[in-house]
Amino acid sequence: MQCMDKNDHAAIQAVLSGDKEAYGTLVVRHSPSLFRVAFRITGNEADAEDVVQEAFLRGYRKLKGFESRSEFGTWIYRIAVRCALNRIGARRVDGAGRVAEQNDPEEDEIQVEDSAAGPDRLLLSGEIGALQESAMRSLSPAERTAFVLRHMEDCSTEEIAVALGIAPNAAKQAVFRAVQKLRGRLAELRVKI
Amino acid sequence: MKHLMEEELIEAYYGGDEADAASREHLESCAACAQAYAALKSDLDDVKPVSPPARDERFGEQVWERIEPSLHTYTERKWSWRPLGMWRGLGLAAACALLLIGGFTAGRLSVQRKPPITVAKQPAPVVKVGKVEVVVLSDHLDRSERLLVELKHADTDSAEMASPMRDEARSLLGPNRVCMKNATQNGDPALATALDHLNRLLAQLADQREGLNSATIARLQEEMNADGLLFEVRVLRTRIPDRQTGNKAHLNGGTI
Repeated sequence: MQCMDKNDHAAIQAVLSGDKEAYGTLVVRHSPSLFRVAFRITGNEADAEDVVQEAFLRGYRKLKGFESRSEFGTWIYRIAVRCALNRIGARRVDGAGRVAEQNDPEEDEIQVEDSAAGPDRLLLSGEIGALQESAMRSLSPAERTAFVLRHMEDCSTEEIAVALGIAPNAAKQAVFRAVQKLRGRLAELRVKI
Repeated sequence: MKHLMEEELIEAYYGGDEADAASREHLESCAACAQAYAALKSDLDDVKPVSPPARDERFGEQVWERIEPSLHTYTERKWSWRPLGMWRGLGLAAACALLLIGGFTAGRLSVQRKPPITVAKQPAPVVKVGKVEVVVLSDHLDRSERLLVELKHADTDSAEMASPMRDEARSLLGPNRVCMKNATQNGDPALATALDHLNRLLAQLADQREGLNSATIARLQEEMNADGLLFEVRVLRTRIPDRQTGNKAHLNGGTI
């Protein structure tokens, strides 16, 4: 890991000295981890790919401001988390607008979180993942992101706070609210099943 | 007994360093809280980490190929004031200003430390020069007049008279040059011209190393009369008392 960090710093120095291609090694090295967290937050493959690209683009533009004391992997990971959070936030607003404009019941089922998937469908498909995803949709973007980071990415409260740009206590509260909502939603769905 | 809040149970579930030791101890001793914790654990254990869909081995390279055209090339930074930022720049400017002020103050202090030159210890040479000019001129004209009179009435055959005249002419040459120079500087062309005529005569008188012979004396008398030199000197001499009184203030004022 230390060797990788050294390589990262060498690549950054090369990029800042005019070797654009050196950034390619950083992209190749860190794309998988960025895609993983982006997919977990967005729940969508195409969105996750877009988030990865956007994160690396932003990272390149901000590379001069990158402090060599921190690790590039951690730094670009935080950028990707912000990008993913923005994306699900924008999607939520966009979805709400479409529900207001259209009266198609099927469209409502897709866009409105409470009716994303019916119990029958869940029972028939037998996919616990779908049940979980349905419960996850009841969370706000910040709650969902905080929960993913805490529950799936094993981030500490402090790391979540830094990634989301909020106070540690606010990050802790976001995780608590997410767990409460998830448990309530999962209980409802289990009863229906 | 106070039971654990849901927040504390969640904290205990995620554990790590953040988990409160007291909460853990309480869970071991409180059946109700232990049951609540078990339910929470069951729910959260059911929420499995989402496994992202597998990516192509070239995924990273594909990402790079997509974003690469949008990236500019960084140019190696050359030194400039801009990266320093406004505050750093202002700081440097303030430091430069302090250096300038410090240098100026140090210079002033070093000048002040030099012993002051007082008039009493070292009289101004200009004043002295002004007084010398007046005194020498009047005196010089007196002496010159006497010499010219002697020359006019000199016995060409007497060597005894010729030698003192030559010596006097030599002693008058220096003061005559000073007076001539001052007259030129003071813008007195009449005086300067007369002194110039006098200077030529004095030079010829002083230049006779072998002594004045009758022929030389006769020639000089002829030149003196031709130029009207004695008359000029007398006229100038009469002007001197007026100049002294009339221009005293001017001279004093000009020299102090």
